[in-house]
Amino acid sequence: MKSLFSSMRDGLGFDIALVAFALGFLLLMSGLPLVYNVVMSFQEVDMFSLGTFSRPFVGLRNYIDLFAQPETYPILLNTLIFVVGSIAGQFLIGFGLALFFWVNFPGASWLRGLFLVSWVMPGLVAGAIWNWILSGDFGVLNFILRETGLIDANIFWRSDPDYSLYAVIIANIWLGTSFNMILLSVGLSGIPGDLYEAAELDGANAWQRFWTITLPMMRSTIGAIIALGLIFTLQQFDLFAAITSGGPNNASNVTQYWAWELSFRQYDFGKGATVSVVMIVFVMLAAVVYVRSTRHEVRG
Amino acid sequence: MTIQIELRGVNKHYGSFHALKDIDLSIGEGTFVALVGPSGCGKSTLLRSLAGLEKISAGDLKIAGQLMNGVPPRKRDVAMVFQSYALYPHMTVEENLTYSLRIRGVAKAQAKKAAAEVAATTGLSHLLGRYPRELSGGQRQRVAMSRAIIRHPKAFLFDEPLSNLDAALRVHMRKEIRALHDRLHATSVYVTHDQIEAMTMADHVVVMRDGIIEQQGKPLDLYDMPVNKFVAGFIGSPAMNFIPATVGDDAKTLTLDLGAVTGTLAVDRSLQPGRKVTVGIRPEHIGIAGPGQGSFDVPVAVVESTGFTAFITTATTPELIVVETGRSTILPGDMVGVRISSDQLHLFDDVTGVRVV
Amino acid sequence: MNGATRVRLMLAIAVVMAAIYLFPLYWMYITALKSGSEVFATPPSFWPAAPQWSTYAFVWESRNMGRYLWNSLVIAVGSVALISVLGVGCAYVLARYRNAWVDVGLFLILMLQVLPASLMITPIFVGFSQLGMLEYPRLAVIIAIAAKSMPFFVVLVRATFMSVPQELEEAALVDGNSRIGAFFSIVLPLARNGILVSALLIFMQAFGEFVYSKSIIQAVELQPASVGLNSFMGPNTNEWNNIMAYATMYVTPILAIFVLLQRRIVSGLTSGALK
Repeated sequence: MKSLFSSMRDGLGFDIALVAFALGFLLLMSGLPLVYNVVMSFQEVDMFSLGTFSRPFVGLRNYIDLFAQPETYPILLNTLIFVVGSIAGQFLIGFGLALFFWVNFPGASWLRGLFLVSWVMPGLVAGAIWNWILSGDFGVLNFILRETGLIDANIFWRSDPDYSLYAVIIANIWLGTSFNMILLSVGLSGIPGDLYEAAELDGANAWQRFWTITLPMMRSTIGAIIALGLIFTLQQFDLFAAITSGGPNNASNVTQYWAWELSFRQYDFGKGATVSVVMIVFVMLAAVVYVRSTRHEVRG
Repeated sequence: MTIQIELRGVNKHYGSFHALKDIDLSIGEGTFVALVGPSGCGKSTLLRSLAGLEKISAGDLKIAGQLMNGVPPRKRDVAMVFQSYALYPHMTVEENLTYSLRIRGVAKAQAKKAAAEVAATTGLSHLLGRYPRELSGGQRQRVAMSRAIIRHPKAFLFDEPLSNLDAALRVHMRKEIRALHDRLHATSVYVTHDQIEAMTMADHVVVMRDGIIEQQGKPLDLYDMPVNKFVAGFIGSPAMNFIPATVGDDAKTLTLDLGAVTGTLAVDRSLQPGRKVTVGIRPEHIGIAGPGQGSFDVPVAVVESTGFTAFITTATTPELIVVETGRSTILPGDMVGVRISSDQLHLFDDVTGVRVV
Repeated sequence: MNGATRVRLMLAIAVVMAAIYLFPLYWMYITALKSGSEVFATPPSFWPAAPQWSTYAFVWESRNMGRYLWNSLVIAVGSVALISVLGVGCAYVLARYRNAWVDVGLFLILMLQVLPASLMITPIFVGFSQLGMLEYPRLAVIIAIAAKSMPFFVVLVRATFMSVPQELEEAALVDGNSRIGAFFSIVLPLARNGILVSALLIFMQAFGEFVYSKSIIQAVELQPASVGLNSFMGPNTNEWNNIMAYATMYVTPILAIFVLLQRRIVSGLTSGALK
C-alpha cells in the first residue's frame, strides 16, 4: 500500500491517475453516449419510454424506415453540397488570403488575427447577422448585388428553396475562412525560404514556384486542414438554427440539423439516434484522416 | 578510501533495447571519474540512472553504502549539471540557487546567505538578481554549477556540461571544474564524448561502447595500454593508425600492408607465423627520416602545419597520419622513410580487436 | 514602385480586405442603432440617421438580458473550471511520454473531439433524463460542454507542455523535489500562458454554446443568452434593430477580449491545432 502511495507522489501512479480521471470522464460522457446512440437506433423510443432502458427492440427497422423516407436522400445530398461548398469556399479564399498576408508587411500579423473574430463569435450571433444580411427585401447583400449589376431582382435567400442552402453556405464560408487562413499561414511559414531562392536561381517564375514548391511542401498541412474543415462543417448547427431552420420544406436541411429535429421537434428519438449513427461513421472517417496527417511531432 | 558509488551487475532495458549490460563500477570518495564513449554507448543512461532519473532493470546501485535501486532522485542527495544547464527561466539566479534549499525548508535568510557565499566563489555575486535569459553561456554554466555546489551533495553528476560552449571557453572551464572538484573534495562523475576532456580532467576514465565498459583505469594507462582496438582508436588525438599486417615466417617480423607499399618491421615478441593482425601505432610515435633511412619508405600526400606541429598524411591505403613537432620541410609528393620502434607497437587480433599480448 | 510604396499599398489592400470581411460586424453595430423604420429603408442606409442609443436599454430590460447573460457566464465559467481541472493534468502526462499507450490515449482523445453536438445530444438528453440530471439543467449542460470541448483543450495544452523542456523538471527532481512539487513549482508556471490562452478559447466557445443549452434547459430563467437570442428570432420576426442590439450586447465582451489578446490567442491556436 505504501508503495502505491509513494508511486502516486513520484512515479507512474501519479501520471496514470492524471490521465485516468480525464479519460474516464471522456469515455463516460462521450464514449457511452456513442454506444447509447447505436443502441437507441435499434429501439423504438418516444416521449413516454424516455425514462426506461427497456424499450421495444425493433432491429433495423429504424434504418429501413429512414432510407425509405422521401426526404432522406435530398437531405443527404444537401449535406454533401453543404460540405463541399463550404470547404471549397473556406479553403480557396483562406489560401488566397494566407498567400497575400504571407508576403509580410508591417501590421500584417495583427490584421490577419483580426479576421478570426468570425470564428470566435457564437455561431448563433453570426447566424443572426447573416439572417438579416440575407433578407430578401431589405437585406444589404441583395442591395449590393443589385447595385453592382450581378443580379436584377432580389434573391429570397432564406425562403427560396433553390437558394436557401446556399444562404447557409455563404454564412458558413464567412465563419470558417479565417480559421483556414491562419492554419494555412502557419503551413506556408514552415517552408524554408532558401527553397524558393534556389528555385528562382534555377529559373522558375512565381507561378511555377507556387506549383512546384509551395503546394507539394504543404501537402500534409492541406490534408490536415481539409480534414479539420470536414469535421467542423459537419458540426455546424447554429447557423441552420439561426437562418433557415432547415427550411423551406427541408430545402436547406442537412443531416446534423435533421437529427436534432427528429429528436427534439418530432420527439422520435429513435430516428434521431439512427441519423446520428449514420453521420458519426462519416465523421469518424474524417477524424482518422486528420489524426493521420498530424502524426509528426517534436518534443520542445 | 571509502567507496562512494558502487554499481554491480547493473542492466537497463528500454523495451527490447539493451542499453546497459552488466555494468560493474566502483567510484571512491573524492575521485573524478569520466565516462566517455561514442553516441549511444550508454554513458548518459548510466549517469541518469545514478541520479534516479532512470530506473535500472537489474543489478545493485549503491550511493554512500546505501542501496538506491528504487529510490527517487530527491532522496539520493546527488546534484546534476545538465548539458543545457536547465536553469529555471522564471526565477532569478539567486532563486535558482536557493531552490533546493527552500524545498528542504531552510529559512529564507539562511538560504540567501548560502547563495551569496557560493556566488562569491564562482564569481556570480553581481548577477544574483538577473534572469537566465540575460546571461551569457559561460555565466549560465557557472550558475548551473553553483546550483549543484550549494547543496553539498554526496556526488556531482555532469552531463556533457561543456558541449554548448565555444572552444576557448571550454579549455578554461575544464580547469575551473576540476579546481572546484578539488577544493570541495567532491566525488564527481563526468560524462563526455570528448576524450581530451576525459584525459585532462579525470583521475579515472571509463570507456564505454554499446552498453558495456570496454576499459577503465587511469588516463595514461588507457593511453599506453589499450585493451582493444576500439579503446586504442578512441583515446588519443589524432587517432592511432591501424595497419593490417601478417606475421612473417620467422615469427619475428611483421609485413605491413599499406596498399601499393609494403613495409617490414621487426618485433620484440614471439608471434605465430602467418597470423594476421592489426598493427596500431600512434601518430606521434612515427618518426620521419630521409628516403631509405627508415624501416621503409612511403609517399606523402598532404602536409598540414599549425605553426608548431605538422600533420603529415601519407598516400597509402590505409593512410598514415604522422605528427611532427616543429616546422616540416617535407612537401606533398616526397618519399620519406618511416622510423617505428617495436616497443611503440600495439598489436590487435584482426578479427576480435583484442590486444595480442 | 519602390519598397516603401509597395508596403504601403499592401497595407492599404489588407485594410480594405479586413474591412470587407468584417462588414457583417459593422452591419450588426449600426443596425442596432437604427430606428425600427430606418432598418427597412430602401436603399439601406450605411450610417444611422439618428443613433437610437435607447434601444440597448430597451432590449436589456424587455428581454431580461441580465439574467440570460448571467446564465451564459455560469455555464461558461463552470465548463472552463471542469475542463481545466481534468484536462491540465491529462495534457501534462500525454506531453511527457511517447509510447504506445500515449498514442492510444491521444488517438482516442482526437477522435472524441470530432463528434458534433447535434448528434450527441440525443443520447445525452435521453441518458440525462433517465438519471434525473435534467433537474439540474445548467450543471448538465456544463458536463456536456466539458465532454465536448475537453479534447480540444487537451490538444492545445499538450502542445504548451511540450514546449517546456523536460530537463527543467529533471533538474527540479534532482534538486530534491517530488514529481508533484516539480509540476507545480516549475512546469505549471512555465506553461501558464499557454494554458490561459487555451482556457480563454474554451470560455468563448462555451459562452456561445447553443445546441446543448437549447435542448437540455427548458426553464426560461435558466437559459443562456444564445437560447434567448434564438427565441427572440421567430419565423416572422422584423424587429431587427432590437435583435441586433441584443446580439451586440451579447457578443461585444467576447470581441473585446479577443481583440485585446489577439496575438496570444492566434499563436496558441496555431501551435496546437496542427500538432
